[in-house]
Amino acid sequence: MKSTVLRAGLGLAIMVAAISGAVVSSCTSAQTIRVAEHRQARIDALNRSIPSIEKQLGITIEVVEYPAPEKDYMSKLLTELGAGNAPDLFTANFDSDVADLVSAGYLAPITAEVKAWDGYAQLFDVAKKLSTRANGEIYALDSMLGVEQIYFRRDLLDKAGISTAQPTSWKDLLDRAREIKKKTGKYGLLLPAGISWGGGAFNEGFALFVPGSKTPQIANDDGTLNLNGEGVRDILGLYRSLIDEDLMPIEPLLGPEPWVIPKYTMFPAGDLMATTCGTWCYIYDWGKDSKNPVPDVTRNVGTWAVPGMTGGSSVMVSGRNIWAVNAKSAHLALAKKVLLALSSVDATVAYAQLLGNIPARKDAADNKDFQALTELVPVLKNVENGTFLKSAPGFSVVSEGVARATEALLRKQTNAAGAQAILVKYVKDLLGDKVVK
Amino acid sequence: MRKFSRAEATAYGFLTVTLVFCLLPFLWVVLASVDPNASLFLSLPKAITADHFVKIFTAENGGRWFFNSLVTVGATTALVIIVAGMGGYALSRTNAWWKRPFLYAIILVRVLPPTALIVPLYKVMLISNGVMGALVRSIVPPDSIRSAMQIFGFVDGYLGLILVLSAMQLPLALWIIKTFFDLTPKDYEEAALMDGANVFQRIRRILVPLALPGLGAAGLLTFIGAWGDFLMPLTFISSANLQLLPIGLFRAFQRANTIDYGYLSALALLYMLPAVVAFGVARGFLVQTFTGGIKG
Amino acid sequence: MAMTYETRVAWQNRMLLVPALVLLAGFILIPAGAAIYISFTNEALSGFAAAHPQLVGLKNYVRLFSDDGFWNSLVVTAFFVFGSSIVGQFVLGLASAMALRRPIAFRPVFNAAILLPNAVPEVVAGFIWISMLAGGKYSTVSRIVGLVGIPPQNWLGSLPLLMIIVVNTWRGIAFAMILMTSGLSAVPTEVYEAARMDGATPRQIFWRITLPLLRPTIFLYMLVSTAGTIAIFGLIYTLTRGGPGGATEIIGIYIYNQSFTAYQLGYGSAVAVIMLGVSVAIGVIYVRVLKVQV
Repeated sequence: MKSTVLRAGLGLAIMVAAISGAVVSSCTSAQTIRVAEHRQARIDALNRSIPSIEKQLGITIEVVEYPAPEKDYMSKLLTELGAGNAPDLFTANFDSDVADLVSAGYLAPITAEVKAWDGYAQLFDVAKKLSTRANGEIYALDSMLGVEQIYFRRDLLDKAGISTAQPTSWKDLLDRAREIKKKTGKYGLLLPAGISWGGGAFNEGFALFVPGSKTPQIANDDGTLNLNGEGVRDILGLYRSLIDEDLMPIEPLLGPEPWVIPKYTMFPAGDLMATTCGTWCYIYDWGKDSKNPVPDVTRNVGTWAVPGMTGGSSVMVSGRNIWAVNAKSAHLALAKKVLLALSSVDATVAYAQLLGNIPARKDAADNKDFQALTELVPVLKNVENGTFLKSAPGFSVVSEGVARATEALLRKQTNAAGAQAILVKYVKDLLGDKVVK
Repeated sequence: MRKFSRAEATAYGFLTVTLVFCLLPFLWVVLASVDPNASLFLSLPKAITADHFVKIFTAENGGRWFFNSLVTVGATTALVIIVAGMGGYALSRTNAWWKRPFLYAIILVRVLPPTALIVPLYKVMLISNGVMGALVRSIVPPDSIRSAMQIFGFVDGYLGLILVLSAMQLPLALWIIKTFFDLTPKDYEEAALMDGANVFQRIRRILVPLALPGLGAAGLLTFIGAWGDFLMPLTFISSANLQLLPIGLFRAFQRANTIDYGYLSALALLYMLPAVVAFGVARGFLVQTFTGGIKG
Repeated sequence: MAMTYETRVAWQNRMLLVPALVLLAGFILIPAGAAIYISFTNEALSGFAAAHPQLVGLKNYVRLFSDDGFWNSLVVTAFFVFGSSIVGQFVLGLASAMALRRPIAFRPVFNAAILLPNAVPEVVAGFIWISMLAGGKYSTVSRIVGLVGIPPQNWLGSLPLLMIIVVNTWRGIAFAMILMTSGLSAVPTEVYEAARMDGATPRQIFWRITLPLLRPTIFLYMLVSTAGTIAIFGLIYTLTRGGPGGATEIIGIYIYNQSFTAYQLGYGSAVAVIMLGVSVAIGVIYVRVLKVQV
């Protein structure tokens, strides 16, 4: 028996040695920084700036491809951060994720490095504010921004004789959607909602309406969250009207990858007339090089700022490439250098070209390649006019709670107050009663 | 011509419908794998190409995924055969008090759903990974720590996945092999004992040859089970160069806008093939496996 | 050194079992125990609780009882198990076994066709059924039922639970058929002949003779397949991820979603403990009722 075991063991050892040879030979002697990235377009953008960064820092950068859907990306990343084997450098999907990553102890502080960096002076104020935590420390750098508002089919609304003027209130917006439905039979306005949309339900839908509601910020300075407010209920009420009056598509939102059908199929086909979106819609979603182009997209697709409930309007600015360094990285100093290099004009413009987000730096406006992105140039100029949402610990729970509340609305199981109760209960269950104000 | 009886006609009718139900879904994957313009939907290819299969081994990671799957599942199968072979033999030959509780416990373990264990299992793997990490760091030069951990690590490493897959497949294999040894006569063993052969010689010369069919059945079922497993590689493997076929396939399918269906279909066929072959060989043992432990 | 032959053999047997014990304990029993512990904590993947998990007593279990998602997943699991393993696979498997007992032409062909889906890995099964079901008018199923005038639809959206039951039935006919074939072959042919002599109709033979004689096999099948169906993960994960709106969120998927997409490891473990309890109960029934001989 011993010899059988020995022989098997030997066999295993030989096999393992052979594999290790294969694995080891793929590594060079230079220090390697591993960078997590997901989705082909983002990986392509990252790969554009890697050679120069490798040369500049004398290192090897290994891009690790993560699952494409945002939620799967985050689950995988979090599991690895917990395990301590996460890559040295990665992005958070949303600002709302960062505070909880910090309280979990996953992120290395980068305050000193960022402030000493020559790009710091070029950062937009809003990017600085989004990147800085309540205690003044920086753990993640919002190196690109999403500027989000409502995108609508100007060409089709004009054709149907529907006003394309900026809506003045939620009621006005809703009436516009009703008019679209009545005159064209198409869906009038999509707000991301439901559990399978993941962080998008909160960050790309709900959050956009918060500044114009009666609860303009969710996070309070004392660490509590305004979730019981009228504003939250009113926003959920807006969702409910859109859903109950059949003004937004519901079925695709309940399935996996809910954005695919409404954004990539229905909107370009004219079956959906308006949706919340960011500048990436002009490039990645419907741009001329995208898979689902809308012809002459900047002319045929117009934008409205998100109206306030009773007046005024806002454009939401939030972080997109929120780079952070793994607190357990074996090469902390080096990883931080790569982080800053990935926030350079060239690196951010590469992302802007392929995805359509806005570099968080003023000097990107002088870059020739960026100037060629005529869709984005005016947006960059106006970034500082946008509003942003303060985030706080517990926001990833709020985000999941909003997903659940809107899911209940999508399934027509409850009304706005009921949805708010679902949100509040979920957050209280997980974070304690005292957190919710 | 012979006339069909009503019962026979019913049987043919039923079997034909079932056959269509069982085979129809495969039609798409087979056609798409050779169609240069494959899409998600069934269509007759206008031309036939082998490009997708070529691409697996040249342009894309398919070959790497296949290799990783072969290595981990192959090692799992080998490990399970050895461990279950020893354990199954002991269980068959002993009459100790713990025999019955042990066998009952194995049945219970067999029905425990892996999904329910995945979170704590992850913690166990984390702790083991930490220990292994310390060990590896103490013997391996710093540059190659990560490569070493990709082999010996418990999280994101071959070894951990092999052990977990083995543990999941072990109860069934133990049961099969134990049942098999129950049926092998002790005479030969005793004869060898008389000749003064020690336990290892007895196992090598007498038991292994006798038990070969049982070991083979257990090995095949282990292979099929581990080959098709999705949850373990999903949870425990993250590095691209360690990815297994099922996850690679699933991830490639998730790239919403950029899916190459021809390539995916070819890969799916390639992934199916070993399991189908193993199943064809093993199906005779399946009945034995589940009925073996039952009193008539 | 003064061991008798018997003690030596006894030690030898114990030693031979050690590797198996280590694997089972390390990767199954200890995790099962740890699941119970974690279910009493607020452990999470992100946020403060990730770094500092605390014991929260029975809170997760209390929450579970008022959680519609949990009850929904139990109901979905029950329908899924009942529909696919107890009705679909069993009925089609038994019918196939009986049909294939006849001297039928092309028997190996039919046999192989029925066995094939069983050999296919879960992910591939999910993948090829998406082509069958998704995509509205382009899907294979829509095109087929279109021939009889049923309008095309996104089947995984309109009839999600029924569809995953169909897919799982498809995968599992073979297993039922294999077991039933072995059960049928144990019935002596004289019994049938005697019945036919007495003028029993085929229907009477089926209900009065075949089914009662198959009872132990059927019971065995039900237990094995129920446990197996409860544990399904990859198939549903690739097909629907539990959606739309939780319609296919069987308990394994629910645990995964709670643990890894809502990051609530503690709460997910509480659900897992319930699932473990149910599975152990099935195992105990298996052992006791079938009088497993060991």
